[in-house]
Amino acid sequence: MEQQAIWAIGIFLLIYALIISEKIHRTIVAMIGGLLMVLLGIVDQETALHHIDFNTLGLLIGMMIIVSITADTGLFKFIAIWAAKKAKGNPVSIMIALAVITAVASAFLDNVTTVLLMVPVTFSITRQLRVSPFPYLITQILASNVGGTATLIGDPPNIMIGSAVKELSFMDFIVNLGPVAVVVMIIYVPIFILLFRKQIQTTPALTKSIMDLDEKELIGDHKLLRKCLTVLGLTILGFFLHQTLHLESATVALAGAFLLLLLTGEHMMEEAFTKVEWTTIFFFVGLFVLVSGLVETGVIAQLAARAIELTDGNLAATSMLILWLSAIASAFLDNIPFVATMIPMIQEMGNMGVSNLEPLWWSLALGACLGGNGSLIGASANLIVAGMAGKEGHPIRFVQYLKYGFPLMILSIIVSSIYVYFRYLM
Amino acid sequence: MELTYRYNKDVMEITEAASDTDVEFDIRVLSEELWPGMKKVQRFFEDNRVYTDVLFYAYADHHYRVIVRQDYYVDFILSLLKHRLVESAEWT
Repeated sequence: MEQQAIWAIGIFLLIYALIISEKIHRTIVAMIGGLLMVLLGIVDQETALHHIDFNTLGLLIGMMIIVSITADTGLFKFIAIWAAKKAKGNPVSIMIALAVITAVASAFLDNVTTVLLMVPVTFSITRQLRVSPFPYLITQILASNVGGTATLIGDPPNIMIGSAVKELSFMDFIVNLGPVAVVVMIIYVPIFILLFRKQIQTTPALTKSIMDLDEKELIGDHKLLRKCLTVLGLTILGFFLHQTLHLESATVALAGAFLLLLLTGEHMMEEAFTKVEWTTIFFFVGLFVLVSGLVETGVIAQLAARAIELTDGNLAATSMLILWLSAIASAFLDNIPFVATMIPMIQEMGNMGVSNLEPLWWSLALGACLGGNGSLIGASANLIVAGMAGKEGHPIRFVQYLKYGFPLMILSIIVSSIYVYFRYLM
Repeated sequence: MELTYRYNKDVMEITEAASDTDVEFDIRVLSEELWPGMKKVQRFFEDNRVYTDVLFYAYADHHYRVIVRQDYYVDFILSLLKHRLVESAEWT
């Protein structure tokens, strides 16, 4: 192995260890890792820039802008209270309604944004009902990762896969991953009820206080709401048609974001830009450059060759290996760097003669997205909810989450294995 | 020392009940003129970074139930004062 490849592996492992340890913010660590690859001459600046996937970044930034402006209208609170009333103020039905809303919203927004919108209203409803927020928060974490699995824009691993594999359209993600996400959610709902129904009891008076709420009061600016809904609708329509229109998903999201800013005026721009999660954006930039070091020095190609050797090039075995490896790894590591490493590896398998890569891409997406449910550190949404809950005096402990999250994650991966096998490998 | 406040009973109705952790307010805004101020108070506490400090529940006819965490009681009263929903507040 060449000296540069050894350096690249050393930097990659060191950075990965630092990301896992959480001693230093992951964005700083990833950026330093990427910069080291350039400073040590493992990749030159031009090549490093070439490896940064601006489609992933543009899609995230565009959606963050649209959602931050839409959240200002009170729409998401309105939907949550409306659903709570439709659930007749019953705490168990409300828990399921909020989980389903989280899953659906996570499919069309990213799941970190979704939980940021859902958690405050969850605190509000549970306080009103005088019940523990824990069952609500944990079911929303699980639902956000399941819902995010269903679409190209739902979860960062899917955004990255969709961006790297141009043949896979927005519709392909829905058609191939949507059914599994729906089945997993259908299986989860009765389990949620069985697990938590005894923990969330309330009184008829408190139920009535939910029923009496006036959700219309929550919509502050009706004119802004109409603009947001129009642009959000057009953007989602754009995602469905992006391949027909020969547009990248980032172009659709950014066009939506800037159309909305044009309609709302300059005064919204400053605030919307401050709500873009720049730390996440730079985390991606650092990772893309970090992984480029492994790609350019041939390390990824060698790993792909080893994986093919291990499975004898058998497509079914390779798919299952990727699905389960992604799931277990994503449960305990951040799934974004994992997927950033796996994408070039699967592409390299294609160069080595594996003709049908589709099952491998879907296995990676299912493993990485659903695997995030395995532990509290498995996905960004989990950490965000835990952080918000802890700050408000309702900490979610690692082991406490693991007891529910890990078995439910394994169940979803068993369902996914059956699905991948029968749909693509039979 | 206790924080006491005065308000115009012709335009507002305020009742409060304390529990171990919270103070629950029942507020009716009887004057249209005061309504924007009430919305500003709500917006302030909903936009800050603490999610459970002051929780607002809106009912019909400008009627609010507000659950205020004990440690945010003073902040809430001062916010009402700032937006002229209460006329004075003092330590007694």
